[in-house]
Amino acid sequence: MKRSIGAVAIVLRKELRDALRDRRTLMTVLVSAVLMGPLVLLAISGLVASLEARAEQREVVVAGIANAPTLRNYLERQTYVVKEAPRDFESQLRRSTLHDPVVVVPEHFEAELVRGDVPVVEIVSDSANQRAEASTARIERLLGGFSRERALLSLALRGVSAQVLEPMEVEDRDLASTQTRATRITGMLPYFVMMAVLYGALNAALDTTAGERERGSLEPLLMNPTERWALVAGKWGAVVCVSVLIAVLSCFSFLPGQWVLRSDTLQAMFQYGPREAGLFILLLLPLAAALSAVLMAVAIRSRTFKEAQASSTVVVLAVSLLPLVNVFDLGGEAPWHLWAPALAQNTLMTRVLKGEALDAWQVLVPLGVCAALAASGVWSVARQLHQAAVK
Amino acid sequence: MIEVRSLAKSFAVPARRGGWRRVRRAGDGTAAPTAGVDGSRVHAVVDVSFDAPDGRITGLLGPNGAGKTTTLRMLAALIAPDAGTMRVDGIDVVARPRDVLARMGVLSDARGLYPRLTARENIVYYGELQGMARDAAEARAVELARRFEMTPLLDRRAGGFSQGERMKTALCRALVHDPPNIVLDEPTNGLDVLATRALRDSLRWLRTPDGGAKCIVFSTHIMQEVERLCDGVVVVAHGRTVATGTVDELLAKSGQRDFEEAFVELAFAAERVAAEPVA
Repeated sequence: MKRSIGAVAIVLRKELRDALRDRRTLMTVLVSAVLMGPLVLLAISGLVASLEARAEQREVVVAGIANAPTLRNYLERQTYVVKEAPRDFESQLRRSTLHDPVVVVPEHFEAELVRGDVPVVEIVSDSANQRAEASTARIERLLGGFSRERALLSLALRGVSAQVLEPMEVEDRDLASTQTRATRITGMLPYFVMMAVLYGALNAALDTTAGERERGSLEPLLMNPTERWALVAGKWGAVVCVSVLIAVLSCFSFLPGQWVLRSDTLQAMFQYGPREAGLFILLLLPLAAALSAVLMAVAIRSRTFKEAQASSTVVVLAVSLLPLVNVFDLGGEAPWHLWAPALAQNTLMTRVLKGEALDAWQVLVPLGVCAALAASGVWSVARQLHQAAVK
Repeated sequence: MIEVRSLAKSFAVPARRGGWRRVRRAGDGTAAPTAGVDGSRVHAVVDVSFDAPDGRITGLLGPNGAGKTTTLRMLAALIAPDAGTMRVDGIDVVARPRDVLARMGVLSDARGLYPRLTARENIVYYGELQGMARDAAEARAVELARRFEMTPLLDRRAGGFSQGERMKTALCRALVHDPPNIVLDEPTNGLDVLATRALRDSLRWLRTPDGGAKCIVFSTHIMQEVERLCDGVVVVAHGRTVATGTVDELLAKSGQRDFEEAFVELAFAAERVAAEPVA
């Protein structure tokens, strides 16, 4: 037994050394998994910053403002700067080169307004143009204000109280804490970290199993007097180490990432410090263990690295798609989420980001699921090893 | 010392994917199995027996597909035999595979190295798996490298090795724990003349008391190898041992003067026997 444990350490050390020497693969994983997250964060912060700037700019783009001096008067009283829309605003909106919705005023606006003929004002936007779309509600409210003012004035002229028009007052009260609101934007962060775990494990898992078969080194390896389980345990340990290493790098890469956030609001809302990073890593450990074992179990059945890549696509897809249940918020949080690997980790990491406490059950269920997966994966590889060597 | 008695192994024919027709069983099932496909099973090894004493080189000679590799894989406890016994230094292979592997160095048909590790690391890894201390394994790697004239290779990564360099490294790897029994599966495959000669010299040395009087079993389909190297020859054809003896004995037995002719005669006779139904 003691000798077998020694053998586990020997195999682990060799596989780690082997994996860490595969610089090109490591760099690819590092760039795609570790740098990707902060870069996306940066892009989001840029978008949010530009939205904020737009909201502060108080500009409104109008086509045909000359037709509506009353409206112009109102807009200017609201301290808005009225800009004339470019001629080809429709195509510009479609191409996303114009970042504001355009208010289109009909030619006889003023005359119709005076006659009480209810002129139609269009707010033109493109739902694929995110920045323009974000300002649409603001412009709608602005124009609504104009209508209300006109109505109030007409009523006041007839001696009717303004309250007749507004028998009820509506006020917003947002229950979400700052952190909860932030997760709408930072919600994809756990997803990126999880992809880092997955891609960290993928190459090492395939290389230690299918790669070993392809090189023809599995057969000689099994001609050593080492127990099968010790060989598999060593290999698995190495894959988990690589995967966790990438996960740690990925989790901590968001720390410097947030210093460069360009949006003050986002920076205030984004609660991700060393504590959160640490919790993330703890939550990801069992997932790394389970994923490594499952990927190895899939790959040992493939003769070549390429074949293994094809068959592991199923695992990769499942891990990539499951957390999307959360991202798209399909039906809110359900108890079964904790039982699905990847989805459970995503749920829990999101809770950490929201600043909510985790109870023991929430941690133990995914831990148990991952432990079971890891054990059955390792067992399956050990069982398959001899057959794989000679085929 | 390696003793193999009446070894047999058959494999299930892999099911045809996407096919719905059942494979028809050949024959009526009463004929003695011969090597080849019989209904749903491939008989790779039918009846192989041989003794390989210490201090001698025993050649396992047979055409392609004779069952040499399967026999050696069973000897290395990689696959379990259907019937027969194998003993290495008196230890049963099936009952105590790990004890056997500790006393045996195998250069198998597959001799893949780890391309990102150096030759030294490749060799030391196996030494450690054989239970050697790291220092001892390192020292042994240096010693073997000197013996096989590959010292300059030691600290190069195996990824860029030539066929011959790979073979030498794999051989060092198999011998790192100084095993009393050495099994080589077609070791000269893909080697040029010089490398083959070097390997032959090494094996001759390993046979001497200086080299440890090893028991060496090596499989090949090349006559010259056997003629030049082997103290004893086991001719295997169609999964059976068809003749054993020294080169001279086999020549006498077949009544030929040329060893190649002798081999063809012995193997061809086996083929005729195999084709004839058992009365």
